Parts: sequence; structure tokens; C-alpha cells
Amino acid sequence: MDTALSLPFEIKSAVKIDPRTKIFLTVTVSTIMVAGGTGGWMRFVRPSLAVFPVLALLAAGRWKAVLRFGITYAVLFTLELLALVHLTGAAGFLLGAVIGIYTHMLPGFLMGCYLIETTTVSEFVAAMERMHISQKIVIPVSVVFRFFPTVREEYAAIGDAMKMRGISSLRNPVKMLEYRIVPLMISVAKIGEELSAAALTRGLGAPQKRTNICAIGFGAVDVLLSAAAVFCWIGFCIG
Amino acid sequence: MEFNQNLNKDMNGNRSTNKETLQAKDLINVGIFTAIYFVLFFAGMILGYLPVFIPLLGFVCPVLCGIPFMLYLTKVKKFGMVSLTGIILGLLNMLMGSGILVLISGVLFGVAADLILRAGKYQSWKCTLFGSGIFALWIMGFISRMFLTRTEYFESLASSYGQEYVDTLMSYTPGWMFPVLFALTFAGGIVGALLGRGVLKKHFERAGIA
Repeated sequence: MDTALSLPFEIKSAVKIDPRTKIFLTVTVSTIMVAGGTGGWMRFVRPSLAVFPVLALLAAGRWKAVLRFGITYAVLFTLELLALVHLTGAAGFLLGAVIGIYTHMLPGFLMGCYLIETTTVSEFVAAMERMHISQKIVIPVSVVFRFFPTVREEYAAIGDAMKMRGISSLRNPVKMLEYRIVPLMISVAKIGEELSAAALTRGLGAPQKRTNICAIGFGAVDVLLSAAAVFCWIGFCIG
Repeated sequence: MEFNQNLNKDMNGNRSTNKETLQAKDLINVGIFTAIYFVLFFAGMILGYLPVFIPLLGFVCPVLCGIPFMLYLTKVKKFGMVSLTGIILGLLNMLMGSGILVLISGVLFGVAADLILRAGKYQSWKCTLFGSGIFALWIMGFISRMFLTRTEYFESLASSYGQEYVDTLMSYTPGWMFPVLFALTFAGGIVGALLGRGVLKKHFERAGIA
């Protein structure tokens, strides 16, 4: 709730990272964690990349997210250590795959959460304008980021409404798909209409060049993190 | 800022005098529908990590995404929107760590689908059906890595997912599967379009948002 009270165009964070650096770091973490191997240099690169998003989220004061992902990771890791060695055949294979996927995807996912939660649309737009990226890319992408939380909220609300009417899962998957997706799309389309009316009223797409209040720029932290990320890429490339 | 010469007219979007360039309203629509598309796609994608489903991935995702895509196409009247959706889906997936191939296929099939749709003036059902099938092919960006850089891909998988996973995956995806998967994904796009049109007729037109 405190984000609603403070100024909405900037989010206070202990460590201020430029949105461009955040994007670079997100690509680094997700790509290397998903596609990288485990041998050689990667033995050092991989754990540090897995820990980094957690630190970043802590620095941004997102305790809940850290806790949630920390517990998930710990459970998966204990499962891997305790259960996986005893299971063979299909069950072991399935569990191994699930654990493998989650331990690979989680850091990238966490980094994505960090990117979205700590970057406001204004900051993102300011950073993209600095890079001279066309408005035709910047506007849709910022709408996409603005809409992920909305889709999640609406989806949860539809779930609640269905529960209240006693329509619960597993009767007919195709029907459930319809019950879930149709209201979701209707509400999201409506919200979108309102959003575009609001944005146009505030002068989005006006012929003048927009100004931006966000202070965007590379600092020492950005240089440090980017250098670290470049080292990770080098480690990734030479294996 | 070439996309807005008529601010006072485009509150309803389609009354604008400037027919060819994209207005702010169009760009916001691109964002909204790309977001829904991506969420549904991601839901389908989670299935795909079980190797049994990988051949089905190209089929399941476009079918799921057919509903938002068809609703999206009712808002598309100009060249560029579908291309942008392809580009942004590619960018998002690159951000998620799927590599550069996804971006390439996103751009390629997004533009191709847009050209097909334009040939039908964004009205013709035949072109919509065909374009939807072509658009679905952007998903092949994920799967292409498995075939184009086969040995490297499976080596990197083996080191982290275990040899058993890799062996199963390899046995499910022999080389001849590549064109088959293309066809399957295309079929997925077609089925998705049919499903989407059904839902559109049944719900959205009645609700007045299509």
C-alpha cells in the first residue's frame, strides 16, 4: 500500500539500478541459467547467478517474494538430495525433470519479478527514450508490463467468483477453459479501453516531445554489475 | 511522433483520418493483447517441459492463444500491429532466457502473418485463418534450437537435467520431426483460430467487445 502513498513515478530502493542494467542482468541470469551447463567455470557462475536475484530483491525490500522463492528453492533442493536418489523409473524421471526445470527457471523468474516490481513505467519509458527506441515498441512493451499484474489480479478474482458459486475444477477441462478465459478477456479488454482513454487524456501520443521527471543514468553500481554480467557471459561462452 | 496527428478524433480509434500509421490507441491495443497472449502461452509452455509434451507444445499453445488472437484481430485494421506483437513476444521470450532464435522467428512470422492479413484487408476469413496458422509458427523459435544446434543443445541439457531426460527427449524428437512439428504448429494455429472464432461468436459479440 505504501507505493500508493509515495510518488508513483519512482520507487525508492536501497540500491538504485538503471532500468537498462536491470534488463541486461535479467537476460544474463535467465539465459545462462536456462541454457548454461554445470561444469568448468559454470560451477562458480551458476551459484552466483542464482543468488544474485535474491540479493537484488532484498536490496529492494521485497521480503515476501524472497521468502516465498527461498522456501520453494529449499524444498526442491531437499527433494533433490533426499528423494531423487531413491526413486527410479518414471517417478524419478518426472521428479528429476520438474526439479531441473524449477531450479533453472526460478532465478530468471525472480529476476523478472525484480525488473517489473522495481521499475515504474515512467522509468522504463525514460530509459528506452535514452536508447532512442521507437515509440512503436516502447508503448506496447510498457503496456505489457503494466498488464501482467492486472491479468493476475483479474484471474484471481474470477477464481473467487467461481468458488462462491460452487463451480470448481475438473469437471470438464474445455468448459473450465471457457469459464476462465472468456471473463478474463472481457475484463482485460474493458480495462484496456479505460487505460487507453486515460493515457490519451494525459497526452500519450501527443505531437510534442514528452518530458520525463525520472532521473535515469548509469552509476558506479551499474558499471560494477554490468562488468560482473560480462564476466558471466565470458564464462558461459568458454564453458 | 508521426502516429498522432488527430488527437481529438481517435478516442474511438477507428474514426481517424490517418488510416495507415499506427495511433497511440493501436499501440496500447497491441500491448494489451500481447500481454494476454503471452500469459496464456506461458501457461501452455509449462506443460511443454515434460518431454512427452514437447511435440505437442507447438499444437497446444496456439490453440490456447487462439481466443485472444482472434479477439485481437477484430481490433487490427492497420499494417504493423501483428508484426509488433510478434516482435514483442520474441523480445519477452528473449528476456526470459530463450535465446535469440525466438526473436528472429517472432519477427519473421509476425511480419509474414501481417502481410497475409493485409492481403485480405484484415477482413477476409480465409486470410485470417491462414495468417493465424503462420503467426503460430513463431513458437518454432523455441524448438528450432533443438534441431539446428542439436548436439550443443542436448549437451547443455544433459549436464543439468540428467542423461535420462535427454535420452527420452531425443527419442521423442528425431530429425524428421522438425517439418512435422512445423505442420503441427500450423495446424494448431488453424484450430486456435476456429476455436477463437467460435468463442468470439458465442460470447464477445454478444458482450459488445468484438
